[in-house]
Amino acid sequence: MSDIKPILEFKDIHVEVEGKEVVKGVSLTVNPGEIHAIMGKNGSGKSSLSNALMGHPAYTITNGEAYLKGKSILDMEADVRSRAGLFLAFQYPLAIPGVTVANFMRAALKSHRGADADMSDFRKLFKAAMADLSIDQSFATRYINEGFSGGEKKRIEVLQMSMLNPAMALLDETDSGLDIDAIKIVSEGINRFQNENNGVLMVTHYQRLLNFVKPDKVHVMMDGKFVMTGGPELALKLEESGYEWLNEEKTGV
Amino acid sequence: MTTQNQDILIPEITPELKRGPQWLQDKRNSSKESYNNTPIPRRGLHLWRYTDPTTFVVDKAEVADATFRTDLDNVIESELALLQNGHSSAFVLDKAGRDITFNLADNLVKDGIVISKLSDAVETHSELVNKHLYSQVNSESGKFEAMNSALWNDGIFIYIPDGKSVAQPIHLLRESGMDNSAQFPRLLVVVGKNSEVTIIDEYSGGSETQSDNMSLTNSAVEIFGDNDSRTRYISLQRNSEGAKVYLAHRAKAQQNATVLTVPLAFGAAVSKQNFGVTLNGEGADSKMYGLLFGGGHQHYDNHTLHHHTVGKTTSDINFKVVLKDKANSAYTGLIKIENKAKTCEAYQENRNLLLNRGCKAETIPELEILNEDVICSHGATIGPLDPEMIFFLKCRGINQTEATRMIVSGFVATTLKQVPDDLKEKIAEFVTKRLEDI
Ligand SMILES: Nc1ncnc2c1ncn2[C@@H]1O[C@H](COP(=O)(O)OP(=O)(O)OP(=O)(O)O)[C@@H](O)[C@H]1O
Ligand SMILES: [Mg+2]
Repeated sequence: MSDIKPILEFKDIHVEVEGKEVVKGVSLTVNPGEIHAIMGKNGSGKSSLSNALMGHPAYTITNGEAYLKGKSILDMEADVRSRAGLFLAFQYPLAIPGVTVANFMRAALKSHRGADADMSDFRKLFKAAMADLSIDQSFATRYINEGFSGGEKKRIEVLQMSMLNPAMALLDETDSGLDIDAIKIVSEGINRFQNENNGVLMVTHYQRLLNFVKPDKVHVMMDGKFVMTGGPELALKLEESGYEWLNEEKTGV
Repeated sequence: MTTQNQDILIPEITPELKRGPQWLQDKRNSSKESYNNTPIPRRGLHLWRYTDPTTFVVDKAEVADATFRTDLDNVIESELALLQNGHSSAFVLDKAGRDITFNLADNLVKDGIVISKLSDAVETHSELVNKHLYSQVNSESGKFEAMNSALWNDGIFIYIPDGKSVAQPIHLLRESGMDNSAQFPRLLVVVGKNSEVTIIDEYSGGSETQSDNMSLTNSAVEIFGDNDSRTRYISLQRNSEGAKVYLAHRAKAQQNATVLTVPLAFGAAVSKQNFGVTLNGEGADSKMYGLLFGGGHQHYDNHTLHHHTVGKTTSDINFKVVLKDKANSAYTGLIKIENKAKTCEAYQENRNLLLNRGCKAETIPELEILNEDVICSHGATIGPLDPEMIFFLKCRGINQTEATRMIVSGFVATTLKQVPDDLKEKIAEFVTKRLEDI
């Protein structure tokens, strides 16, 4: 199967933020149709890695390579990465006062389609995508993320993913802050999006999400490095025993 | 031309101003005396830290007859169309404060609503005018207020009798002359008990290039909102690039009256604007939502005042500034709550968005709270666009320029919510235009 081009591939990525190295050499390959999960303690570098891959200017990649569908992305601005097919759902989505969800979404979709694209289907698509995620239509005219509850913000992130339909989705704790019903709705959204041509990389703390969205691989991040990779059973083990046994395994061998 | 630190006295009041009742002539004369006897404010003095006072001195004893911009006729035509289509209740064209024409919807006249020349109102509504004219903006307000008080000719008078509401906005277009012109427009508004009105006060014209030519507009606005009245006053300053503008506005809200003031500024080379509301009766409420967007070398100096003279009154200010190129703006906002004015609420916020290096903003909140029994807060920020917001938008494919436009449009959108729809579109156009070349 060596002729399959990975959707996302990165090698030996090092990330610095505020002069501190927080990601210390990680590599990963996501092939078409694969779902990967990253787990790891607070502060281990998961969001830093996601932000850096997306092109956040505060997260400098000091070393390593990253490819989206075979194309190097590290020299691209974030908007170019997005249009090339990379998507990041934020752990803490930001509010933009005065910009409605509908206007935001329209501008985003238009930027993907090109300035001269026909947008006459926008309303229909937008309405349908909202309905799919059980988002009330009244959100269309609200200012994006302003005064939204934690769970509402996450649903709106998934809405953006489903409308932009990226080749590769990085989902940073999209399950956190969701109630039991919402986690189902969001998982269904991810599953509807996911197919044999795209890739998903989810950062999560909970096995719960992985019951709904089955990962092919689970990676454990500690102190800026992947220290273990396994199948879905690894997530179960972590849920049961926490991260301490990993430390023992690492140092005790 | 040199006017630097050189005071120029107002000569004898010209015969054409020597009309009307004795009290008015006395006022004009005392205002003239006051102007002539008040030295030019020293730079650095309170409220004069940011703007050279000599900017507003009339440097020629005689100012040439004004000429007006060539597209004025088109503007008039479209304004009359708005009136005909019922989008406005009245259109008043005030050319250089001198030549004022009135177009009123029929129902206004039937309802007894008065919109007329101030010089006529002095005769026809002498009691009202005598009571309110000079009651808020007068020679004691400052040297340049004294100048307007002496020299206004002519002005506009608006009177809404008790219990009347004017559904559509009254639109005043204050057109300044181009080069070598100085104008002193004046507006007096009296809103009767339980009445309602929206006034759009638009300032345009003036010198189109920054040059030594005199192009001064010194305007005074007084608004009186009687008990239970609801007044919306929108000031839109969109003068031409070479204009110098001095705006003094004061409004008074009596018991349970509400006043919404929306100062909008996009134009002029130098603009000093002063908006103030006195909360003068229990239950009175004032909201002030301002917006200015400066570019090029524009200079803005803004003051706001909320003066609570009576208890159980509320006020809220949100003044937004967007600057680009080498524009600069200063904002001084005073909240004053008298000792006897208990259980008031007063909020003040000033946000400044700087789109590039080179532009500059300052903000000075001032509080004079003379009793403890109040809720009061103020906040100010000055800074560039939030890079996290830019990143968020870029993550969705939107490029840097478009992201900037969206954030600025969002920033102003919350203020534009306060203005009538027709005007909203017009202002959105100004904003879009300013954002074209970022
Ligand atoms: N913008 C920043 N400025 C300064 N330090 C940062 C910044 N972003 C991340 N860090 C630091 O980098 C380290 C990794 O943080 P990161 O947010 O990547 O962790 P995480 O694995 O996503 O944690 P969590 O599970 O809590 O979300 C932490 O020590 C954090 O304090
Ligand atoms: Mg994180």
